[in-house]
Amino acid sequence: MTGIYRASARLGAVLASLVCGPAMAQTLTIASSAPVTSIDPHYHTLSPNESFDGQMYERLVDHDAHGKLIPSLAESWSLKDDTTWEFKLRPGVKFHDGSNFTAEDVAYTIARVPRVKNSPASFSIYTQAVKSVEVVDPQTIRLHTDGVYPLLPIDLSQVFIIPHGLGADPTTEDFNAGKNAIGTGPFRFVSYKPGDRIELDRFDGYWGPKPQWEHVSYRMLSNDASRTAALLAGDVGIIEFVPPTDLPKLRTDPRVTLAEVISNRSIFLWLDHSHEGPTPYVFGPNGETLAKNPLKDRRVRLALSLAINRQAIVERVMEGAAIPTGQYLPPGAATYNPDIKPPPYDPARAKALLAEAGYPNGLRITLHGPNDRYVNDAKIIQAVGQMWQRIGVQTTVEPSPWSAFVSRAGRQELSAFLLGWGVSTGEGINPLRAQLGTWDAARGIGTANRGRYSNPTLDAMVEQALRTLDDGARDKLVQQAMALAMDDVPVIMLHLQKAIWATRKGLVYEARTDEETRAVSVKAVP
Amino acid sequence: MSAAITPPAPATPHPREETPFRRFVSEFAESKLALLGLGVFVLIALAAIFAPWITPQNPYDLAQLDIMDGRLPPGSVSGAGYTYLLGTDDQGRDMFSGMLYGLRISLLVGVGSALFAAVVGTTLGLLAAFFGRRIDTVIMRLVDLQLSFPSILVALMILAGLGKGVMNVVLALVIVEWAYYARTVRATAMVERRREYIEAAQCLALPWRRIMFHHLLPNCLPPLIVIATQQVARAIALEATLSFLGLGVPITEPSLGLLIANGYQYMLSGKYWISFYPGIALLVTIISINLVGDQLRDVLNPRLTR
Repeated sequence: MTGIYRASARLGAVLASLVCGPAMAQTLTIASSAPVTSIDPHYHTLSPNESFDGQMYERLVDHDAHGKLIPSLAESWSLKDDTTWEFKLRPGVKFHDGSNFTAEDVAYTIARVPRVKNSPASFSIYTQAVKSVEVVDPQTIRLHTDGVYPLLPIDLSQVFIIPHGLGADPTTEDFNAGKNAIGTGPFRFVSYKPGDRIELDRFDGYWGPKPQWEHVSYRMLSNDASRTAALLAGDVGIIEFVPPTDLPKLRTDPRVTLAEVISNRSIFLWLDHSHEGPTPYVFGPNGETLAKNPLKDRRVRLALSLAINRQAIVERVMEGAAIPTGQYLPPGAATYNPDIKPPPYDPARAKALLAEAGYPNGLRITLHGPNDRYVNDAKIIQAVGQMWQRIGVQTTVEPSPWSAFVSRAGRQELSAFLLGWGVSTGEGINPLRAQLGTWDAARGIGTANRGRYSNPTLDAMVEQALRTLDDGARDKLVQQAMALAMDDVPVIMLHLQKAIWATRKGLVYEARTDEETRAVSVKAVP
Repeated sequence: MSAAITPPAPATPHPREETPFRRFVSEFAESKLALLGLGVFVLIALAAIFAPWITPQNPYDLAQLDIMDGRLPPGSVSGAGYTYLLGTDDQGRDMFSGMLYGLRISLLVGVGSALFAAVVGTTLGLLAAFFGRRIDTVIMRLVDLQLSFPSILVALMILAGLGKGVMNVVLALVIVEWAYYARTVRATAMVERRREYIEAAQCLALPWRRIMFHHLLPNCLPPLIVIATQQVARAIALEATLSFLGLGVPITEPSLGLLIANGYQYMLSGKYWISFYPGIALLVTIISINLVGDQLRDVLNPRLTR
């Protein structure tokens, strides 16, 4: 039945476009770079999903294009006391099904998030700080936390609000089928073909500015070359994650406009801190097993970092679609520390440091990484291999598909490996806790700490920052903590990716540091 | 082609004796194209074997590559002073050196897997033909099963399980290819087995191994040689396909297929040389082997004996 309905809906759309020609211009076709795995906004904390969800659903607090927090469904928020946040909700907001948005919906959403069945990566990390919810009136809600928790608005900027009319435990399947796919966003659900496309129509009851597009076709084109080809052929209006290999060509193509910004996604090399004794993939220069893990020695880590010519990687491998970095955040982001410079390229000093650490004849190391996850991931580790080789570290490069790689990295089976981290919250506490905090699964700290780095001084500083309510003082603390962490070289920072969109001439996109692609931000220009 | 009945030696030796081998050589040389193929193949093989002495760079030594020399067009001069005759790939690998080293892998994998598969397939084919009955049924059903899947699919599955590496590629190709030999050898051996010389050998109560390998096998060789040359070319192409898909050789030791894959994404950007030259090398190698194989098939086919 739904099939027939969808077919007729599509036929209707085709006929409509035939009848009124100019209507074609009101359809926007987006080519996203990765499949959206579900329409359920609380199913999977996966960037492609969150990027798509932004068309249909909204959060209490949103980010602007530069990553700054801005009001969305909440008009304002404030601390009532040390453990109570009060959110004033926007009046006159309607869901796609016509119901009014109230505090009940927020309470319902927060209660639902941890109960999603079979979630591969739960959104509960963003709601777990909320201990109890108090609905004051339809336009006011109070959230109580365990102790001081200044990051709550930032955490909630990841949680999409759904209407409480969906009943107890709405299923992910019902979202995918369209039954539950109800939000307050500028576009409403029409159809979903997994792995292929999602069709959306403008929601005329939207509270915000009316979007320019009557219809949005959200296509998933994970092959880089086909995305570029689709844009050049005029099949799509905008593509995200423009492949760097096509950049030089697209920059000079008059049919295309580019929008770029330095994103929150840093690329770095993890080093193994978990083994005191021999680490699995580091050996002496002749292949002999070492009594202790050389990567526990800061001098060795620093040597490996100084051996890397970041500028060369950025220019030659990334084709300029990145900038060298020495920290997790880009210039301009909250808590960015301007005193932390990208580590210099100094092979002579790297050699000296290795000798000083007791390895004058170098080491033998295998560098792992994914080959299908980050921009040019396999090429980056090959280039790093060249550079390490030059300071006497014999490097074997072993890229493998993400799924095979990430489980090994998560089990501490590797010694040095490439990973990336997109700071979704846009400030430094997130990487300092999730990446570099001492691993503690129960407390949700160090959940992405795959090298099992542990630094009690750093943990204490981050903890202190988390208990600091004054924004200025907290940012200062975070900057200091970041400097302390980066000086110890727990990971070898390489670069920050640029997020690049390409649109057909006549369309412009406002590039976002969070890498999300939003139909409302695509504007037609004369 | 029966070798069992040796013709009596002629009483008066001719100035130029017509041995089976001489006849074979002269018939082979009738096709100029096949000779050309053979010549090209020998050249390629020599270049591959002596690659370390010919090439200016060891493309498998990361320390000899320079990322700053990446994607240079043919004829550029390297930082170390030598010329990149055919340009460089994205890692700054000299394409000429990379191709010769890549050819080494391609030929090693092609010839190696064809030989191993020939040994396995021939043995199983002979066993099936010689003993018949249940052994024949089991082996030939295995062959049917094997041949019912596309070879690339089987090879992909095996490599997904075994992981990357030259030896794993050889193993995968042997598993894929043995069935062709087994089927061919069995068909020939079935015919030969009913011949008198086998009967005679059996009457002498020779052990079965001796009959199988000393009497039956030599008479099954001609079709085997033809299959083997074709399978070498097939194995080279299959290895290139697997490497192109990223399942063959390690990324720092590219074969021709991986070199093509590395340059594939630059084709539209006008940097044709990264994919183009390895592609030509692969094409020329496979064509030359096939030219030789075709002529061998014509020469060794008893039905076409003139």
